[in-house]
Amino acid sequence: MSRFRRFLRTPEAVAGAIILAALIAMALSASLLFPGDPQAIAGPALLPPFQDWSLPLGTDRLGRDVLAELFHGARTSLAVGLAAAAAALVVGSVVGTLAGFADGLVDEVLMRITEAFQTVPSFLLALAFVSVVGPSLGIVVIAIALGTWTGPARVARAEVLSIRERDYVASARAVGMHPLAIAFREVLPNALPPVLAMSSVIVAAAILTEAALSFLGLGDPNRVTWGGMIAEGRAVLRTAPFLSIVPGIALVLTVLGVYLAGEGVVETTAVRRGLS
Amino acid sequence: MSGFNISRRTMLAGSAMLLASTAMPDIGWAQTPKKGGRLVLAADSEPRNLNPAIVASNGVFFISSKIVETLAEASFDGKDGLAPRLALSWEGAADGLSVTFKLRDGVKWHDGKPFTSADVAFSALQIWKPLQNLGRTVFKDLASVDTPDDLTAVFKFAKPTPFQLIRNALPALSSVVPKHIYEVGKIEDNPANNAPIGTGPFKFGEYKAGQYYRLTKNTDYWGKDEPYLDEIIYQVLPDRTSAASALEAEEIQLAAFSAVPLADLDRISKVPGLKVISKGYEGLTYQLVVEINHRRKELADLKVRQAIAHAIDKEFVVKTVFLGYAATATGPVPKNDPQFYTADVPTYPFDVAKANALLDEAGYKKGPDGKRFTLKLLPAPYFNETKQFGGYLRQALAAIGIDAQLVNNDSAAHIKAVYTDHAFDLAVGPPVFRGDPAISTTILVQSGIPDGVPFSNQGGYKNDALDALIAKASETLDTSARTDLYKEFQKEVAADLPLINVAEWSFISVARDTVGNIANNPRWAVSNWADTYLAG
Repeated sequence: MSRFRRFLRTPEAVAGAIILAALIAMALSASLLFPGDPQAIAGPALLPPFQDWSLPLGTDRLGRDVLAELFHGARTSLAVGLAAAAAALVVGSVVGTLAGFADGLVDEVLMRITEAFQTVPSFLLALAFVSVVGPSLGIVVIAIALGTWTGPARVARAEVLSIRERDYVASARAVGMHPLAIAFREVLPNALPPVLAMSSVIVAAAILTEAALSFLGLGDPNRVTWGGMIAEGRAVLRTAPFLSIVPGIALVLTVLGVYLAGEGVVETTAVRRGLS
Repeated sequence: MSGFNISRRTMLAGSAMLLASTAMPDIGWAQTPKKGGRLVLAADSEPRNLNPAIVASNGVFFISSKIVETLAEASFDGKDGLAPRLALSWEGAADGLSVTFKLRDGVKWHDGKPFTSADVAFSALQIWKPLQNLGRTVFKDLASVDTPDDLTAVFKFAKPTPFQLIRNALPALSSVVPKHIYEVGKIEDNPANNAPIGTGPFKFGEYKAGQYYRLTKNTDYWGKDEPYLDEIIYQVLPDRTSAASALEAEEIQLAAFSAVPLADLDRISKVPGLKVISKGYEGLTYQLVVEINHRRKELADLKVRQAIAHAIDKEFVVKTVFLGYAATATGPVPKNDPQFYTADVPTYPFDVAKANALLDEAGYKKGPDGKRFTLKLLPAPYFNETKQFGGYLRQALAAIGIDAQLVNNDSAAHIKAVYTDHAFDLAVGPPVFRGDPAISTTILVQSGIPDGVPFSNQGGYKNDALDALIAKASETLDTSARTDLYKEFQKEVAADLPLINVAEWSFISVARDTVGNIANNPRWAVSNWADTYLAG
């Protein structure tokens, strides 16, 4: 309870949480408020915002409802952002824990692989992967995770290196627990907090990467994405700037919200740790 | 005959496309052209091979047509729609076995050597027939070229070849390159492919990758007082939004081939000093076509193809995707073609109920989720409009219970997927109509074409009646009988729907007021610009 109250005391965290809540509400209500295909043609093309209240944010070049696209786009952005971040965190912490706990050759091999991935800019990696395999939602998630799991892996390894020398690990060994059981039951849970602290940055980066891929035409063309909306609006930037600005603002707010809320969580847990 | 054609062509171009004619001031043939000046214009692609005799495509012509000339150019008011260039006259024999060209006297190559009939013979036999993308079809029966003197070239054909086809092919397919440059070494690897040498009003200056192409005046040009311009600079501006800003900032004076997005035209036509011109592309009509893979059992059923045709609202496509700068299509020959077009073909008015009924009849009932079956749809990535139409088609098909999954590819991957791997169910393509159905249109529906030939029938469609019709037309010498066969061809294609023609469109130029003699022939953007000038 006190933790929650502390969280509410930081204004950034509250702002972030509100934005995030609104975003999740948008994503969840998308098919209730805008049932059917968001890409269906709903009205005359290039209708400016605030002209027709049945289409409050206007329509795009084919006459699709921008508001409906925005709501359904929130779904894609959040889904890809969370899925990619989750995949990156899981893969990263498993690799990090194995490397840190196993030591020796396994550690060397896993860390060299991690470094190999780190030397390639993660966006280029995603770009190359999607253009080879072909764009679809699952592939985009894998492509983004491919470039982001290295951060969590290094942090997890560093934590594990210090934890494995602790007494309770030694006693677990003494009672004859299987090394893998020790690694994943005893060590990993305790190494997780600093890894999870990275999650907000990873989610935000994943959402941006997804948008950038869609902007370059490498998103799933059968789904509405904000990046795709911005790219499509770019052709008519001078005559209908709202087509790029609206999803652009949504993107900025989302990334900001995720980041602020994440920071808030980290701060409150840090304070708690400091007190205890 | 030709007088009638011209007025009909002009009228159709004007009425069908309803272009911003109010924003089109007098095109300036009344003024006296001024000499000198440098014309800077936008180029959106950078072709590496600039030899128009090998690569007959508009992207190459846009630059190289000023350097390398053809035997004849398209014309609004010339006989048979042609104006002389390197050839002064052309005469077809009654048996269809020969065509005689009388060539222009006193023409010199850019390196000072004289232009003769030997150059024409060499270009035709060594390049157009074996190497050129379009010439391979049109000149397939060319056996030899006789050169009785320096100014006469007689094309001899092994099989009767319609003179009408050769005539219609002249503007795009007859680029003449110098024999003395190309007879050494392999033609494909000749350095002149990248720095062409021709007889045209401009010489190749230099090319800086990613920056510009520079052409300079040919002071020895055969045209009296021509060219007027001293220099032409093609500024490479691959980003479509930048051409409009560059025009407004007076960094460039001309943006051809719709380099300014259609959505910006309304705004830009109001900018003082700029004019929007829709003429000058009548000979370069692009067709928006739904390519169909007939290997899919659903699509092999004529009823399903008819249903898809009924599901497409062509008016909406013209109005929304092309913002009115296009015309709806009825069949494989565009409405603005003066020779072959017929409106007397089966049509498919927009009717969702009928489309649904046809699909029910064909036995593809809607499932519990409202879907009948799923198709893979590949829109060609070359134009914004083809991509957008892909988005529209997906929605149009959803309305009749067909779930179309879009697959986006880059140009190379799209060509491979559709024309080599056949990994598509429906594709959106932009074939070009080049003044005669035999040049690049019949190949879209004809059977027996090897895998991997781009922009051809790779949908596995085979219709013996249609194949026979195409074969017959290709050897019919009489112009009116041949024209009638192609009218029959249009009917058959519209009835059996090997592909679905949706719309036909052309391009828009935006230029500064000072640029004179714009759009004075039907292929203006890819003609030689000898008479283009800069006033003031």
